[in-house]
Amino acid sequence: MAKQYKTLGEDIWKNRVETINAELFIFTYGSIVAQLVKDFEDYEQVNKQLEKMGYNIGVRLIEDFLSRSGWGRCTDFKETMEVISKIGFKMFLNIAPTVTNWSTDSKVCSLILDENPLNDFVELPLDTQHKLWYSNILCGVLRGALEMVQMQIEANFISCVLQGDDISEIRVQFIRHLQEELPNADD
Amino acid sequence: MSHVYYFTIVGTNDVPLYEAEFGMQIKDTSLSAKEETRYLNQFIAHAALDIIDEAVWNTTDLYLKTLDKYNELNVSCYVTPSNTRFILLHENKADDNIKTFLAECHEFYIKILCNPFYTVNTPIVSPTFEQRVKSLARRFLL
Amino acid sequence: MILSLYIINKAGGLVYQRDFNEGLQRLSSNDYLILAGTFHSIHAITSRISPTGNSDGLDLLEADGFKLHCFQTVTGTKFLLVTDPSHHSVDGILRKIYNLYSDYVMKNPFYTPEMPIRVELFDQNLIRAVHTAL
Repeated sequence: MAKQYKTLGEDIWKNRVETINAELFIFTYGSIVAQLVKDFEDYEQVNKQLEKMGYNIGVRLIEDFLSRSGWGRCTDFKETMEVISKIGFKMFLNIAPTVTNWSTDSKVCSLILDENPLNDFVELPLDTQHKLWYSNILCGVLRGALEMVQMQIEANFISCVLQGDDISEIRVQFIRHLQEELPNADD
Repeated sequence: MSHVYYFTIVGTNDVPLYEAEFGMQIKDTSLSAKEETRYLNQFIAHAALDIIDEAVWNTTDLYLKTLDKYNELNVSCYVTPSNTRFILLHENKADDNIKTFLAECHEFYIKILCNPFYTVNTPIVSPTFEQRVKSLARRFLL
Repeated sequence: MILSLYIINKAGGLVYQRDFNEGLQRLSSNDYLILAGTFHSIHAITSRISPTGNSDGLDLLEADGFKLHCFQTVTGTKFLLVTDPSHHSVDGILRKIYNLYSDYVMKNPFYTPEMPIRVELFDQNLIRAVHTAL
């Protein structure tokens, strides 16, 4: 089963996506974060803004993901996470984070990002220690995308190599299935 | 006896961005004479700026070789296309190692510029850069 | 022959309607909205009241003069395609339309999700796709 996701993810990456220059992408994201840091002067706020921006991307990106992959509904949260890693991340960032550290009730897990193209060239200012989550936009993307398929989740970075940690880890917690198909509120 | 080097990066508005000394053994009494002239290094390097400004027009190379001399010290320079100056003060004659050292420093400087949190023409405080330059110095100079 | 396309948002509102053939009977804009809302409700009922348990709801409606194919995305948006009765497979073109929707509608930063779609690039590419599919 897991193999199948991987194959599909690689197939889409190779044949069905358009790519752009990585540096252009990295610099664009970098200058956005740097500008937010300048404007807000508060890392807590910057994290929040990045998450919001990610959310707005997620609610749109999900359609691209579904229409390109042709993937249907997942049976459970475990499958969802595998699909996100092997197909979703692969398709948009050409990485496949490891899904691991499942809680016993299968509602919380971690995405370990062995590599993260957003991080290239980045060295955080020295005063950010564990306050700025540079790639926090990813958490928002996950939340936005999953909300559109009626799953409420919360995602947070708990460690990041830019902060001197050994690994970059996003903790993802499943909260509930959204029964009513809510109209989406763009923030 | 090991040689002593003074290295500095000067930004486009003539402000130093980075400074380092290699091969200086502080406790070595035999070097005390050099110790005394240590504070002069900054002056020597910055005095060379005018010469550099003229020399850049004579060549298309980024490496300008040795341009100036003060007592025992040679002043070699490497200028990036954006006019950031890498200046090295050294006692021995300029050789390929010095050229390579400066060119490699340029590479690392580019990496610094790629960091979204670095603003052009501000002091370089990155520990990674510091470490990289030190290890370059060990490889090519000392 | 593909006659028209309707796109219904997840709340049951009609966000897009286009006919691909001349001479189709036009409804008043209010009637289009009623049609969309009614279909949305019927779809919801058919997906809930199903003799076999799990159901994705109404998929195909056949009538005397036309067929109405419904494709609902995982996100809840519905694409309704009206064709003539002899038309069989619409999977390909529906897939294509969904692609165009994600490209030109959802990726347009000035489009607000769930709102009526007024995106010229989408119109142009949609018309081209439907004509090549004919």
